[in-house]
Amino acid sequence: MQIFNDYKDHADFLTVYIREAHPTDEWQMKSNLKEDVCYAQPTTLAQRLAIGNDFTKRFKFPLPFGVDEMSNAANDAYAAWPERLYIVDESGRIAYRGGMGPFHYNTKEVRTWLAARYGEVKHPEEKKDQKPADNPAEKPAEKSEPPKSGAPAKS
Amino acid sequence: MWVGIAVGALVVLAFIALSVMAGGPKDALYMVRYALPHMHRGNLKIGDSAPDARLIALNGTDRFHIRERTGGKPLVLVFGSFT
Repeated sequence: MQIFNDYKDHADFLTVYIREAHPTDEWQMKSNLKEDVCYAQPTTLAQRLAIGNDFTKRFKFPLPFGVDEMSNAANDAYAAWPERLYIVDESGRIAYRGGMGPFHYNTKEVRTWLAARYGEVKHPEEKKDQKPADNPAEKPAEKSEPPKSGAPAKS
Repeated sequence: MWVGIAVGALVVLAFIALSVMAGGPKDALYMVRYALPHMHRGNLKIGDSAPDARLIALNGTDRFHIRERTGGKPLVLVFGSFT
């Protein structure tokens, strides 16, 4: 995850593994078969942990990782299923709330929030592919203005 | 009668649109079953105190709370699954 590499010195990251979105016994997608990502919905914590471990090993996933309990407490508290992004500020308050994935899961908005605070990190290869505007079909997520004070912006 | 036909036509059109969006009629049905109940769920707003929840480390033994990870720097929370 490029954002993690770019901003890990400024922000903490935590991945929370929640209940599966497209398990074999629910709404399996063709893409799951193509990518060989076929798991039934875990019914035990051991199964959930096993999938979490498979995921981090397969992608050599570098972000800190936590697994939601079988009560789905984190998922329920953050309305997270199937995927969602948040930023919690230093005072423990929601500073950014992304939309429900996959259609409104927008890492660019997270990057924008971090860039407004800590400065933009440019990648030459991204510039070529950059679209002139974001997908207009995407509902803008609720977000706060990151405070300008704090860490000095990179130039 | 015409109202019934119009409503029926709208339902059919909506289903076709959903099928195109989801990738097929089966996926449209699954979307209605699994995704629709989750839409508009959650009432967290900007400025709300971030809810806490206990998480389990991948080793299966260590437990920690989301709140333990807040306070120092902004915390980017990435929720998701493998599939």
